[in-house]
Amino acid sequence: TFRLQQLRRHILSESKITTMSGSPLTTHVLNTALGVPGSNVTLRLYQQDPSTDVWHLITTGTTNDDGRCPGLITQQQFKSGVYKLHFETGQYWARMGQTSFYPYVEIVFTITDPEQKYHVPLLVSRFSYSTYRGS
Amino acid sequence: MAGAESSPLTTYVVNTSDGVPGAKIALSLHRLDTNLMIWTMIGVGTTNEDGCCPGLISQEAFIPGMYKLRFETGLYWERLGKTSFYPYVETVFTIQNPAQKFNLPLLMSPFSYSTHRGN
Repeated sequence: TFRLQQLRRHILSESKITTMSGSPLTTHVLNTALGVPGSNVTLRLYQQDPSTDVWHLITTGTTNDDGRCPGLITQQQFKSGVYKLHFETGQYWARMGQTSFYPYVEIVFTITDPEQKYHVPLLVSRFSYSTYRGS
Repeated sequence: MAGAESSPLTTYVVNTSDGVPGAKIALSLHRLDTNLMIWTMIGVGTTNEDGCCPGLISQEAFIPGMYKLRFETGLYWERLGKTSFYPYVETVFTIQNPAQKFNLPLLMSPFSYSTHRGN
């Protein structure tokens, strides 16, 4: 139990460090129809197991008032490989009483150098979306 | 594949980085089976020299539901000797009224892409 407590303290302090130094992977949701941040959008980050192709859930989060979601992943967890960001955009539009052509948006991307910073924004309207690799 | 009748669902791929159509891109169309909650592949194709892929689906097969278009964009950029941030692009959309026409273009570069509902 002592070891578990030690581990727990270690993991908790590591996530504090992430919040201070920032996740190497960030996102930003923008509502291009209204010209405002996409706030309160639920999102999930997955990492693909290279031997089984199975997706493993890393983080579930919600964008803040600024459309951002800090603390997506720690530098330690951030290995090279294939990742997927799943945005619950359909739920976002439904909350505003609107339908959307897309029930959700998924963006699959490859991280080759986890030492770099990666910014994966989503610009979305009810009938369109775009994304790009930023840093 | 649809015959003489044109598909109610079309796509069009543009390589925005070189300003040319995205030609010879393999793609597949899937529909969500709501009973089993799994994706069923209902069509495959390859974009032509114009970046278009005629005959994706017949009007008959085009029932209301959730669909997914998957574009093998990673392979496309590899063929051009480039790496891309995205191994492939999948876009999931809901068809409520199959009597309408849906054109879903994909505009892409190795580090960005966009799509929208057109007709």
